[in-house]
Amino acid sequence: MSARNLGTELDLSWISKIQVNQPAVLRRAEQIQARRMVKKEWQAAWLLKAVTFIDLTTLSGDDTSSNVQRLCYKAKYPIREDLLKALNVHDKGLTTAAVCVYPARVCDAVKALKAAGSTIPVASVATGFPAGQTHLKTRLEEIRLAVEDGATEIDVVINRTLVLTGQWEGSDFIKTSTGKEAVNATFPVAIVMLRAIRDFFWKTGNKIGFKPAGGIRSAKDSLAWLSLIKEELGDEWLTPELFRIGASTLLSDIERQIYHHVTGRYAAYHDLPMS
Amino acid sequence: MVNMAWLDTQDRHLGHYVNGKWLKPEHRNSVPCRDPITGENLASCPQAQAEDVAAAVEAARTAWENWSGLPGASRAQYLTRLAKMIQKHQRLLWTLESLVTGRAVQEVRDRDIPLAQQLLQCHAVQAYTQEETLAGWEPMGVIGLILSPTFSFLEMMWRICPALAVGCTVVVLVPPGSPTPLLLAQLAGELGSFPGILNVINGPASLGPILASQPGVQKVTFCGAVEEGRVLRRTLAGQGAELGLALGAESLLVLTEAADVDSAVEGVVDAAWSDRSAGGLRLLIQESVWDETMRRLQERMARLRGGRGLDGAVDMGARGAAAHDLAQRYVREAQSQGAQVFQAGDVPSVSPFFPPTLVSDLPPASPCTQAEVPWPVVVASPYRTAKEALAMANGTPRGGSASVWSERLGQALELGYGLRVGTVWINAHGLRHPEVPTGGCKESGSSWHGGPDGLYEYLRPSGTPARLPSLSENLNYDTFGLAVPLTLPSGPEIGPSPAAPYGLFIGGRFQAPGARSSRCIQDSKGNLHAYVAEGGAKDIRGAVEAAHQAAPGWVSQPPGARASLLWALASALERRESALASALERHGVELKTAKVEVELSAKRLRAWGARAQAQGHLLQVAELRGPVLRLREPLGVLAIVCPDEWPLLAFASLLAAALAHGNTVVLVPSGVCPIPALEVCQDMATLLPAGLVNVVTGDRDHLTRCLALHQDVQALWYFGSAQGSQFVEWASAGNLKPVWVNRGRPRAWDQEAQGAGPELGLRAARTKALWLPMGD
Repeated sequence: MSARNLGTELDLSWISKIQVNQPAVLRRAEQIQARRMVKKEWQAAWLLKAVTFIDLTTLSGDDTSSNVQRLCYKAKYPIREDLLKALNVHDKGLTTAAVCVYPARVCDAVKALKAAGSTIPVASVATGFPAGQTHLKTRLEEIRLAVEDGATEIDVVINRTLVLTGQWEGSDFIKTSTGKEAVNATFPVAIVMLRAIRDFFWKTGNKIGFKPAGGIRSAKDSLAWLSLIKEELGDEWLTPELFRIGASTLLSDIERQIYHHVTGRYAAYHDLPMS
Repeated sequence: MVNMAWLDTQDRHLGHYVNGKWLKPEHRNSVPCRDPITGENLASCPQAQAEDVAAAVEAARTAWENWSGLPGASRAQYLTRLAKMIQKHQRLLWTLESLVTGRAVQEVRDRDIPLAQQLLQCHAVQAYTQEETLAGWEPMGVIGLILSPTFSFLEMMWRICPALAVGCTVVVLVPPGSPTPLLLAQLAGELGSFPGILNVINGPASLGPILASQPGVQKVTFCGAVEEGRVLRRTLAGQGAELGLALGAESLLVLTEAADVDSAVEGVVDAAWSDRSAGGLRLLIQESVWDETMRRLQERMARLRGGRGLDGAVDMGARGAAAHDLAQRYVREAQSQGAQVFQAGDVPSVSPFFPPTLVSDLPPASPCTQAEVPWPVVVASPYRTAKEALAMANGTPRGGSASVWSERLGQALELGYGLRVGTVWINAHGLRHPEVPTGGCKESGSSWHGGPDGLYEYLRPSGTPARLPSLSENLNYDTFGLAVPLTLPSGPEIGPSPAAPYGLFIGGRFQAPGARSSRCIQDSKGNLHAYVAEGGAKDIRGAVEAAHQAAPGWVSQPPGARASLLWALASALERRESALASALERHGVELKTAKVEVELSAKRLRAWGARAQAQGHLLQVAELRGPVLRLREPLGVLAIVCPDEWPLLAFASLLAAALAHGNTVVLVPSGVCPIPALEVCQDMATLLPAGLVNVVTGDRDHLTRCLALHQDVQALWYFGSAQGSQFVEWASAGNLKPVWVNRGRPRAWDQEAQGAGPELGLRAARTKALWLPMGD
């Protein structure tokens, strides 16, 4: 995490002055996906970079310590060792950016990561995830408990009732959605959010992070997200401190693409370890 | 690489593609086709000579006889097959085009190629419904298309698709070293069925006049620089072929304080720093958002990537040394005139690469402000109010395309309607679609492609005779109509006493001519009928000024108001019937016929009044949510030199069409019999706003000269001698005003088709496409 956003005086004129032209943003979103086609070794490098942004996530009602443990192991060893060796990056300590679980599973995750000898941070969703429609008191308590269990990052669901009635909250990181909505991370929405991040940085000097979550499943998608960040915010934002991808199945597709790049063959599902 | 493999099939020696096969004549000067970035020699291209041009036109002429007679459905089928052919070979097309032009491959692949297919498909539909929707029109014949090096193969597609669809055949003259058009011709040729409908030859632009003067060539369309267009306009005066010009590539972007600035910045990227457009951009920024916009622009520029076009991740390629030098020269000049220049982006620092460039603080009166902005340069200037923005935007001789960025609907429409350009996009830039007409006004030329307007470029009213050259070699442009023949007293006035001398009808009242002299009008028996004023250059100047002053008021009149004025004029004309008929009678018209002429004249005024209501329409474009408005805007100040025949009817027909479309008019009536027109002026003085119609009598050649050379006359219709027509065509090169000349041929004004047909309506207004994308 970067330095905390110390906040600023709320100036609602910033918001009322914002103009967003939807058709123009949609066209930009289409362009970004087409204008940066990286291929071959450059693609492999970008994919490995993408791995370092992943918040490897499991948010299922039936999560138990065993699948959380498996997830943590995968976070520590995201790509098969021999593939990394072939690319000569096996000694770089490549891991995902974090693991992300429900508050009740934080304990399991911390334990599993400790056992694996890893310092990967544990993120927890909290505050009545995914709706956020619980009392402030229980929401705060939830955060307190998750932190006590060892979570170092909390994905807070803001109270959207307040937002929709114009009462805003501040944050260090903004996320496209919970990943549990009908529509989650889309490019047009992301473009608007990223432009807001840039404007905020220009006005206050504070860098706010960005995390798209939900529906990012293919390696190709992840590349488009990276180029979106690079194009709209610049390289400074391409670090795990300021950019995360919330995903559960993305990693295995990236690994398959790396496999193909190294071997020239397409992998069968059983060729690669599951998470 | 597939593109190299194709060049190898031609042994790296490209010829011309004529009559469905390669034409590779011996003993021609060869020009190398080079990779614009590495300079590598890719192939050699023989330059065409006059006989090659003749062979291509001959092939097109032969093919025309069959092609033009086919049912539209057969042509539709052919165009659909060609679209599929392009689809099959799209990879070859995009790699070849990107390689030889240096443009970014993703732009060619994701935009140009799909658009080329779409163009064929849309025009196939047009061809299919041609008998129904374009009844009364017929294909012109062989079309010559001349492309300059800065235009991509897509510009060729925009023009050959409508031409082929309506039944014309085409000869394309491309600059040497552009193999993509040749490949397209080959693909068309390999369909087998109609060799010779599309012929491509490569050679220097100097072959243009030779192409235009080939027998059978009915129209020449030229895409290129303004000055080249001017030269061609002068050269082709009096030639058989009609000339359509699409000139310059500069665009304009107006950014208001109510804009989504980030999106507008992307609009600037699309307009100038991508491989989407051929030219540079003039950027008008509202003062209150100047700093913010400049910061965002500079930030955005830093992230642009330039490089080899075939690299899939570049925004901008390179377009060869010529484009580089042009940009370099412009930027250096701007700097020397005191401008700030900002360049950024990840672009190789060697020629022919040129970085995205932002020029600001250019003094308003400096030469660079007036000159056309080259690719990839953006010239930014601040403005204070929307009104000022319009004045600045319209204050250049160019009138191609522009975009307006504002989230305030009313403001955006106000600007969109007010800009004098061919295309306006609201909150977008550079959108194109086959069904939307694209063209320009002022010095950007007045030829159209796309939509219905694109089709009419290659059609003429059925039954119009083919255009033949009426070139008079010894016409001296310097002296034509320069001096006014002197009118001296010529014997005693006999017969009934002549009517009192008429003045010139200028600014709503009769005035004495500047020269203070009169000319006498004789009746058919050679007797003196009347004296009319002898108008001159000063009178024309005054008339044009008066017409300009009346223009804003007349344009803002709703069509209904225009219609009722025309109807009122028609009634006035009928009330004067006996006077008008007897004036006509004195010029040898039978009384019965004269009465018919008066009656028909009133009818024309009413008919155009009624048509004034039905202007423009709405287009729906598949990809775009929201409409595109096809507006029909007045040409502005329209000068009309009426024919000698049908002195009242031709006058009324032309005047009615012009007024109904919102033009203000400076008119020279029939030279033989100007009296009826002057009679009508007495009614116009009371009925019409002052300056709306101005009638100047005098020596026709002299008045024609004054009007044709007047830079502030926006269009000119000339019905007179062949020499006069040739002079008008030549002189129109000055401000590139659209002209309509009859080349000495009489017109059947009493016939509906020629006297009141849709051709007049088409000529009397210009189209503007206004794009209105919608979204919440």
